[in-house]
Amino acid sequence: MATSGNKNINAKLVLLGDVGAGKSSLVLRFVKGQFVEFQESTIGAAFFSQTLAVNDATVKFEIWDTAGQERYHSLAPMYYRGAAAAIIVYDITNQGSFDRAKKWVQELQAQGNPNMVMALAGNKSDLLDSRKVAAEDAQTYAQENGLFFMETSAKSAANQRDCRECNQYRIQPGWFWTDLLKGLQARHVARRTWFLVQF
Amino acid sequence: MLETDLHDLSDDADYAASQQQGSTTMMRTDSGRGSSSSEHEGAEVVYSKENVTIHPTQFASERISGRLRLIKQGSCLFITWIPYKGQNSNAKLSERDRNLYTIRGVPFTEVRSIRRHTPAFGWQYVIIVLSSGLAFPSLYFYNGGVREFLATVKQHVFLVRSEEDANTFLVNDFQNPLQRTLSSLELPRSGSIASAVSSASVDVSPSNSERRAGEDSHDERSRISRYGGKQRHKAQDPARDLPIQILEKFSLVTKFARETTSQLFRENHNNGFSVAEMRIQNQSSLDSPQTSSNDLEKVTDDSPVVQDPIQFDKLTLVWGKPRQPPLGSEEWATFLDAEGRVLDSTSLRKRIFYGGVEHNLRKEVWAFLLGFHAYNSTYAEREYLQSIKRSEYLTIKNQWQSISPEQAKRFTKFKERKGLIEKDVVRTDRSLSFFDGDENPNVKLLHDILLTYSFYNFDLGYCQGMSDFLSPILFVMGDESESFWCFVALMERLGPNFNRDQTGMHCQLFAISKLVELLDTPLHNYFSQHDCLNYFFCFRWVLIQFKREFAYEKVMHLWEVLWTHYPSEHLHLYICVAVLKRYRNKIMGEQMDFDTLLKFINELSGHIDLDAAIRDAEALCVCAGENGAANIPPGTPPSLPLDDGSYYIQQDEVL
Repeated sequence: MATSGNKNINAKLVLLGDVGAGKSSLVLRFVKGQFVEFQESTIGAAFFSQTLAVNDATVKFEIWDTAGQERYHSLAPMYYRGAAAAIIVYDITNQGSFDRAKKWVQELQAQGNPNMVMALAGNKSDLLDSRKVAAEDAQTYAQENGLFFMETSAKSAANQRDCRECNQYRIQPGWFWTDLLKGLQARHVARRTWFLVQF
Repeated sequence: MLETDLHDLSDDADYAASQQQGSTTMMRTDSGRGSSSSEHEGAEVVYSKENVTIHPTQFASERISGRLRLIKQGSCLFITWIPYKGQNSNAKLSERDRNLYTIRGVPFTEVRSIRRHTPAFGWQYVIIVLSSGLAFPSLYFYNGGVREFLATVKQHVFLVRSEEDANTFLVNDFQNPLQRTLSSLELPRSGSIASAVSSASVDVSPSNSERRAGEDSHDERSRISRYGGKQRHKAQDPARDLPIQILEKFSLVTKFARETTSQLFRENHNNGFSVAEMRIQNQSSLDSPQTSSNDLEKVTDDSPVVQDPIQFDKLTLVWGKPRQPPLGSEEWATFLDAEGRVLDSTSLRKRIFYGGVEHNLRKEVWAFLLGFHAYNSTYAEREYLQSIKRSEYLTIKNQWQSISPEQAKRFTKFKERKGLIEKDVVRTDRSLSFFDGDENPNVKLLHDILLTYSFYNFDLGYCQGMSDFLSPILFVMGDESESFWCFVALMERLGPNFNRDQTGMHCQLFAISKLVELLDTPLHNYFSQHDCLNYFFCFRWVLIQFKREFAYEKVMHLWEVLWTHYPSEHLHLYICVAVLKRYRNKIMGEQMDFDTLLKFINELSGHIDLDAAIRDAEALCVCAGENGAANIPPGTPPSLPLDDGSYYIQQDEVL
């Protein structure tokens, strides 16, 4: 639960990525702290919100979770328009999903909001034995394109911050989410861009 | 410009005068028809085709033929379609429809796309979609000439073939995918509708119905003149650049429908809600099992004093017919003759609509409802068909089973498709004991049937959502081949839901928006004001027919009810409206925006009272009547496609 700070910030996020990369699982880990082995496919889009309290501000993440199949690609712009941040998810055990992630990055660079913060999440990091995408490759790609990068596991909740920091943030998001939040804040302070609505 | 064209103009379209008049008002007072040729300056009929016909309903007797023209004025190209007079025996209907559907000089700057349909049998037709997202009814070219029509348009307007669909021609091509999405999916925005409707009302004059054919020139001309005027204002006031003509039509439809429904629902002028809506509110506060059997009496108690007993009968007749117990074996036997034919399929479908089917009978009955078996087939014929179809299934299945690993390496499309299916079947209804556990054979059957289907219908392939459709069918049918063919039959109707260009979904969401406008204007206005007219919050409901919204048993019940196609093929759209109406107060009271609404709708899953929703939907469907049906574009799923197999062609498909 967020405390009542003197600042309320809304941040719209969108999750994009290949079928079965773990978009819904990642967001459910964040929002509900749970993991379902056979998370059903997303039809159309799902919308979640989660509020984080940071220092004297509360940040409400409004998260759009999208369907992964190429067939539904044409719907994506409806969801990423106006997003403050996009999380592009791939599956570290599936090279094709990493290629697809790069395509999403290209599309967002070409079409999205130039102030959009992009993050690349290599999900299923618990499945080390089946790894097909090297962390270094993804890291290099992320650096070249100015993306946050992190490997995550919605299943094992890897990359959780230690408990002290969890307490500081009042709930237990993965690093991924808090780092993303920091990125958003930094941009907001630096550029006073429109996407974080303060009121 | 040809002399004959000029001459041809004189009988109906002396719109050129408008250019000189420059004012709509002046134009409208100018009733003189003997216009001199000087008034035609700059105007030219560049295309004219007789017997271009619209099909407002499925009845051949209600088709309306007319003359289609392209008219060039200055740098502007206009399209007009004027129906012929007095061809229809039902004079009243014809007159109304005539005024409703007439296209009086719409400029191509307002046209977004033209889709050409060239069925193997039957007439070619085109669908013209305006930039507002609204579309004219399909124009059937009884005398041919679609190619010539498009060629003429192309000569005067920037026209490109859509990358996604070779039969769609974009008039205003958007390079930006965001805009492409918006333009292909979104319905008109709030500001547009509101202002357009208000300005449209000016034009709906009672004399419309009195006009003679020759006077249509007046409309056509004044429409163009108004546009000419508007164009000059365009820079200052973009909101004025609206297809008023088309919106006029919808306002007429709505007005007509409201008159009809208000007779049944009795408008309550104190709060602006009809009795029916109040009734829904009553029910929603009592969302509990008790509100089922005694609903009829409740209507009687709650209704205001009704002066006209006939109207009152209609009200009680249409609303809240109690649900019945499911069809059981004994009763089922009464529908069959000695050789196993269903004698009266209409009664059977009606019976199933009101109660569904007992689970142990589903295997037998679903094959009829889905169309795998014909109602008039005998036991012997069905047995024969099953054996034929079984070997046919195995043949198709063998097509992918025989692909060796070496061959698969060189067959990316197959690998990708198979991978996609593998990802989805392991997460389809796994919480059911039928599908749970490792190495579950039914999960493998899901996989095999879906992959076989993607070979049977290679153009459509596999798409997320299909496993949701197949799961209950497999659960009920058990048999692999029968499940496959029942799934095939279902996809004949619902396959367009998965079209890459989203046409099937677009049609249905569009129809929902028109039905809400018809049946709940305040809610429509609310959605309009909050930019929710694309109805994307209903996407999941429509795509997989509420599969994710109800418990498994309820889904099976709902589907068999829908598959009866009683009282409408499109009852699922009325269910959408019924559920939205049920929560209308919450939606409007909490001022939900699109995001909140989508979240709210997604979270309704598991909380919708199915019986109440079906009852409400039936009532809404009956009340909307013909006007409801007229708001659903022809060919909207689950109607059988208007086209031949080319319906499924997916251009530039990755998977």
